[in-house]
Amino acid sequence: MKNLIRIRDLTVKFYTYEGVVHAIDDLELDIRQGETLGIVGETGSGKTMTALAILRLIPYPGKIESGSIIFFDTGLRREIDLLKLSEDKMRSIRGNKISMVFQEPGAALNPVFTIGNQISEVFLLHQRRELGKRAKEQVDRLLRDGDGFAAGIKRPFWRWQKRLYDKISQESNPFEPRFLSHVPLFRRLLWRLENESKLLTVDMLKDVEIPDAARVAIHYPHELSGGMKQRAVIAMALACSPELLIADEPTTSLDVTIQAQMLELFRRIKVEKGASVLFITHNLGVASEVCDRVAVMYAGSLCEVASVEELFLHPSHPYTKALLDAVPMPGKDLQTIPGALADPLNPPSGCRFHPRCPSAMPVCQQEKAKLKDISNDHMVACHLF
Amino acid sequence: MTDWKFMARQLARNPLSLIGIIIIFIFVILAIFAPLIAPPQGYRDPYMIPRDGYSATPQPPSEEHIFGTTEGQYDIFYGVIWGTRSAFHVGLVVIGIVVVIGIVLGSLAGYFGGVIDEVIMRITDIFLAFPALILAMAIVTVIGPSLKSVMIALIVVSWPSYARLIRGDILQVREEDYIEASRGLGASSARVIIRHALPNAIYPTLIMASLDIGAVVLSAAALSFLGLGAPEGYADWGQLTSFARNWIVGPTAEPLKYWFAVTIPGLFILFFVLGWNLLGDAFRDILDPRLARR
Amino acid sequence: MELRSYIIRRLLLLIPVLFGVTVFIFGITMLFSPIERASLYIRSARQMGDIPAIIATYGLDQPFWVQYGTWISQVFHGNLGWSSVVNMPVWDAIWNFLPATLELAIFATPLIILMGVFLGTRAAAHKDRPLDHVTRVGAIAGWSLPTFWLGLMLLMVFYGLFRGLLPPDRLSFPMNLLVNSADFVRYTRINTIDAILNLNGPVLLDALRHLILPVITLSVVNVAFIMRLMRSSMLESLGKGYILTARAKGLSERVVVNKHARRNALIPVITVSGYVFAAMANGVVITETIFTFKGIGWWAALAATRLDIAGVLGFALFNAVLFVLVNLVVDILYTRVDPRVRLGGVMQ
Repeated sequence: MKNLIRIRDLTVKFYTYEGVVHAIDDLELDIRQGETLGIVGETGSGKTMTALAILRLIPYPGKIESGSIIFFDTGLRREIDLLKLSEDKMRSIRGNKISMVFQEPGAALNPVFTIGNQISEVFLLHQRRELGKRAKEQVDRLLRDGDGFAAGIKRPFWRWQKRLYDKISQESNPFEPRFLSHVPLFRRLLWRLENESKLLTVDMLKDVEIPDAARVAIHYPHELSGGMKQRAVIAMALACSPELLIADEPTTSLDVTIQAQMLELFRRIKVEKGASVLFITHNLGVASEVCDRVAVMYAGSLCEVASVEELFLHPSHPYTKALLDAVPMPGKDLQTIPGALADPLNPPSGCRFHPRCPSAMPVCQQEKAKLKDISNDHMVACHLF
Repeated sequence: MTDWKFMARQLARNPLSLIGIIIIFIFVILAIFAPLIAPPQGYRDPYMIPRDGYSATPQPPSEEHIFGTTEGQYDIFYGVIWGTRSAFHVGLVVIGIVVVIGIVLGSLAGYFGGVIDEVIMRITDIFLAFPALILAMAIVTVIGPSLKSVMIALIVVSWPSYARLIRGDILQVREEDYIEASRGLGASSARVIIRHALPNAIYPTLIMASLDIGAVVLSAAALSFLGLGAPEGYADWGQLTSFARNWIVGPTAEPLKYWFAVTIPGLFILFFVLGWNLLGDAFRDILDPRLARR
Repeated sequence: MELRSYIIRRLLLLIPVLFGVTVFIFGITMLFSPIERASLYIRSARQMGDIPAIIATYGLDQPFWVQYGTWISQVFHGNLGWSSVVNMPVWDAIWNFLPATLELAIFATPLIILMGVFLGTRAAAHKDRPLDHVTRVGAIAGWSLPTFWLGLMLLMVFYGLFRGLLPPDRLSFPMNLLVNSADFVRYTRINTIDAILNLNGPVLLDALRHLILPVITLSVVNVAFIMRLMRSSMLESLGKGYILTARAKGLSERVVVNKHARRNALIPVITVSGYVFAAMANGVVITETIFTFKGIGWWAALAATRLDIAGVLGFALFNAVLFVLVNLVVDILYTRVDPRVRLGGVMQ
């Protein structure tokens, strides 16, 4: 299995008024093809920033200081460093080859546009050729079967449309359709593109198990429940069959029952679409349900990464062990991790966890541990190993 | 809760607000030291501008008249300096009274709710149904033009917005009270709680009100300009500008001959209002956490 | 139908407000003596000579509510009194001078909206960069400008310094003669529209030449206001979650700003447009006075200075009714524009 994403030496800093925040510190992480990788960690551990870094959407005043994110484009059979891509090319990857689902579906959807409109937008942006092809087929059929007086009048327009759609389906940025789309009356010639995108949208909504998809598509976000909204957002992310789907705490804001349905949906996506999923969560239970491998992050660095069973059976990094211990269980005293979260403005020297670590050694204060392979596909960054 | 020191620091950091503070400071100095800067002549009312003759043609700036004279030989320099005093007078009196009325009626409406609230709201609706200047014009016409009637008119026109603002603040505070009360934090009289929480809610409104002084002075100047305010020869910026109406264009050879009559009084108004607006803008930016600088 | 019942409900609520407005206006008039009040009921020049008859006919010494009844019924018959400054009934005066003001409004409103929205969007998109600072300072300066002073300065420069390039008044003298002659058909009494309808180029150009300065004077303050509002509204919109989603979809920054952010940002601006109308109504009084642009603002200012009570009050009443209706229209528009405000259930 090749690596879909290889993150190496990633450092992201935020230059705020109060000081420099070390959001991500020399991160090294792999996402494999077809796997669901979970990133687990507390707030501020850098999980969301990692996701945003992959898409190069780090907000101001953050900056990606160094590192590389190598993305293996299956379609083009080529490796590209996402951090070195031009903004244009990056945009063609966002929503298309790599897409993201955010935590709050209500906030992620624009309240003044319908659900269908927002999903169609993705098709119209990234899959114009496919839409052009389908539109052309529609027009072909009309040209073939149409007869009678009405058809006779419409014929020249059909031929014009066919030419336009042909261009769209074959050329990269054809002039004539682009020009016409700005001219008021002649814009109508391209209506089939929107039509086809609407059909694809409804299909997509059905795929994420939204009942009565056609009717939902013409509704506005505030008219949907939380679970439906999240499904719609997932539909939006999966529209162009991305190779990597990033899900940032997708179930955190939902009811527990809806949560279960959502996890089932993710499992199905994994099986049917074959996409890789980067699943970010702070809930270990959810991670265990849905992920193949799990990575544990603390204060911007990776602590441990292993397959789900391996991690839960043999947690090696002290932080991982502490996290698992802290999960409340009946009959057990509530365990907490002593100390406070690492101050992002002034992180501890060396290993970020050493002030709170029960097995801290002198060397932990001086230098950060490197990721090491300790057993079957189980990597830890700790001086104990 | 606003931390005053933090606010002051933020204000000082913003260059625009600094300029605003400086401008206002200059005007305050001008107003306080008006008798020294432009000494009144004789026993007449210091607010009446001294005339140097009765000729209608404005005279350009000279040694005797630093900014020149306007129609009727009124000294422009004297007029704008003492005009600063009348500007502050109008602004402070109007805003002061408006805030008091607003607090009283707004609190009554907000606290008691019910019929009292409805009645007060309907009354404000009626006043707010008129565009401000137009209602002020009507009131001044009815009472008879003078600076006093301008102030009365502006008070009548401005109080409804403040009553509504304060009513809104009180309603917000009331909401929190009920929630706390339902949590069983004590059955202390709602009025006591409001008396403590009210000042905090009102601070932003009070700050905004003090910064509306600029807007009030602008409206007063407009009314004076139309001839509905201060009498002729009174030291009022709007009044001074109204003289300039006849002298916009000079003789063919020198069209801008009487520029000083038009430009100078207007500049004073502009900078006065600008100062208050800059300050107001800065305050708004500070009080709005979303737009706070990082 | 939700919308229809909403409109009906709002119209019904209008009635007490309009009632209050009329009582308020009428109450002001009661501060005057019956003789002065007579001007509120006079319809023609002839009647002016016979005040006692007026007092008797309309019962100007009756109790308050009786007089109110008389007055309001007169108002409904279109009798708002006699305006002494222009020697015609108030009602006639309003309709006589309204086209000029409408002309100003027709040109100023799109200018204000387009410039305000455009500049506000640009300022927000380039936040904290030079363009933002420049437009912000410009907005504050524009907002602080006394309208009358701006008008005077513009006249001084463009009429004085540039020798009559952009003159005051509505039309130059020869054009005015032409327009009032038999060769020119007055459809709307709005000079520019009539000129187009008459296919008369010179009149159109002349009218436009006279419109430039008043329209600019009227617009500056309002553009500043809209611009600042649009900027802060855009900044708020750009900070929302759906903007990040839009970027994550791969949309270009231009589409993100113009399509996703702006639509949301326009909503507060629309709710404010009622106040822009009021600000324009205020501005019109001063602007028309300075440029001797004979519209209702000019007439009202003249009436105020000459203590023409019927005129001033008639103008105030007209404005109040118009303003209330405009606010209603704006509220309805708001429900169309913001989907969240429309009533509907939640789908499970």
